[in-house]
Amino acid sequence: MFRSTSGTRRVLLVLCALLLSLVFVLPKQSRTLLQAIGKPLADLVAIPLELFSSADRHAGGIWDRYVALRTVQEENQQLRREIEFLRGQTADLREMAAANQRLGALLRFRANTPAQTVAARVVGRDATNWYHGILLDKGEQDGIQAEMAVITLTGAVGRVVKTRASSSVVLLITDPNNAVTSLIQRTRDEGIIEGTFEGAVRMKYIPLLSAVRVGDPVVTSGLTGRFPKGVPVGTITNIQKDQGELFQTADVQPDVDFTKLEEVLVVTVPRHVDAPAAISPAEKNKP
Amino acid sequence: MKRLLYLGLVGGLIPIQTTVLEHLSVAGVRPDLCLIAVSLIGLFGGLADGVMMGALLGFEQDLFSAGDTWVNAITKSAIGLSAGLVGRYVARTTPATVLPMVLGLSVSSGIAFLFAGAGGQHTLTAVRSVLLPQAMFDSMVAMGLYWVLAERFKKDDSLV
Repeated sequence: MFRSTSGTRRVLLVLCALLLSLVFVLPKQSRTLLQAIGKPLADLVAIPLELFSSADRHAGGIWDRYVALRTVQEENQQLRREIEFLRGQTADLREMAAANQRLGALLRFRANTPAQTVAARVVGRDATNWYHGILLDKGEQDGIQAEMAVITLTGAVGRVVKTRASSSVVLLITDPNNAVTSLIQRTRDEGIIEGTFEGAVRMKYIPLLSAVRVGDPVVTSGLTGRFPKGVPVGTITNIQKDQGELFQTADVQPDVDFTKLEEVLVVTVPRHVDAPAAISPAEKNKP
Repeated sequence: MKRLLYLGLVGGLIPIQTTVLEHLSVAGVRPDLCLIAVSLIGLFGGLADGVMMGALLGFEQDLFSAGDTWVNAITKSAIGLSAGLVGRYVARTTPATVLPMVLGLSVSSGIAFLFAGAGGQHTLTAVRSVLLPQAMFDSMVAMGLYWVLAERFKKDDSLV
């Protein structure tokens, strides 16, 4: 089969086959090895990724300007160019103002949230269609670790699943492989938020006797995982109470628009370390 | 020339896949550029190149995906191998033969993802909303690219 392959190629091919078969023989150990091998490669690829992400953000405006300039008459070119330049500047300023507003809101939210967070920019989407994931421009050197919660000022986003020195991968709450313990804010009933393939979320294991209603807000319970308690998840849009089932299930419309994520906060410590400790019952009873 | 092209693919394909390709998505599904590239490398460059580039690009894709760090490496190597075998044993490949080949490879790759648990408990939804649309998207793009490359390499035989 490999008659036409040269010596070096054959060695590389055998090495490749050995590495891949290692995955089957020692899956856990090889995963750690692959992660270790992959980190420098990922850091290298992160450089063009950052460039593409930056170019992508500016490409729309450049393209518009280019198309507009190509259609103008020769004698009006200079004036139109100036207009385009000014339009571009206005667009840039608007973009900056919008970013300023967004970041300001994020900072205010960060100051008020009872957790220590690291702000990160979304630089890309998952490399496959199979997972609902995003790529962040911050990683281990900024204190981000796997399993940390990711939030925005509008609600829960997901959890960190992979980290490298300067980037990380986040699995969104809309992914079927993600589960977040949550509670219905009005009734205080707990359940588990799980993603669906359509990009929505579903709350499972709601007690059968719960008086849950359409329109009830759902927040994180803070019981498991690294999500702080009370982070908004979404609003209940539909309730299924099947006969013979032990629990109710509800469709939840997420509060976060996952198609327009630009900046997020990674929760490094769910609660401030210097936050006042909860009052003990003994202290509570003091006169 | 070939090494430069491969280097360009290793350095550029994932950044394109994760950033600008989002604008070309149809109903949230983007073509898998790595799958298309590995299929065409297998066809044009041969079996060994297909397997090695499949392993490398797949591994790289795994690093920038929320899934396990082996699914893409394994599936893309198998795709490179299959495309290499097609290139070696099929007497005359045309855009019309590339379409069903990439369609089949993309479907097989999707099935591997489902076995790896990518769809959770929503297997049928995953088939309907990701596996089939992506396979069709991949095969159409691959057919177009094959046609362009076949025209190009009729004149310049540097990749074969």
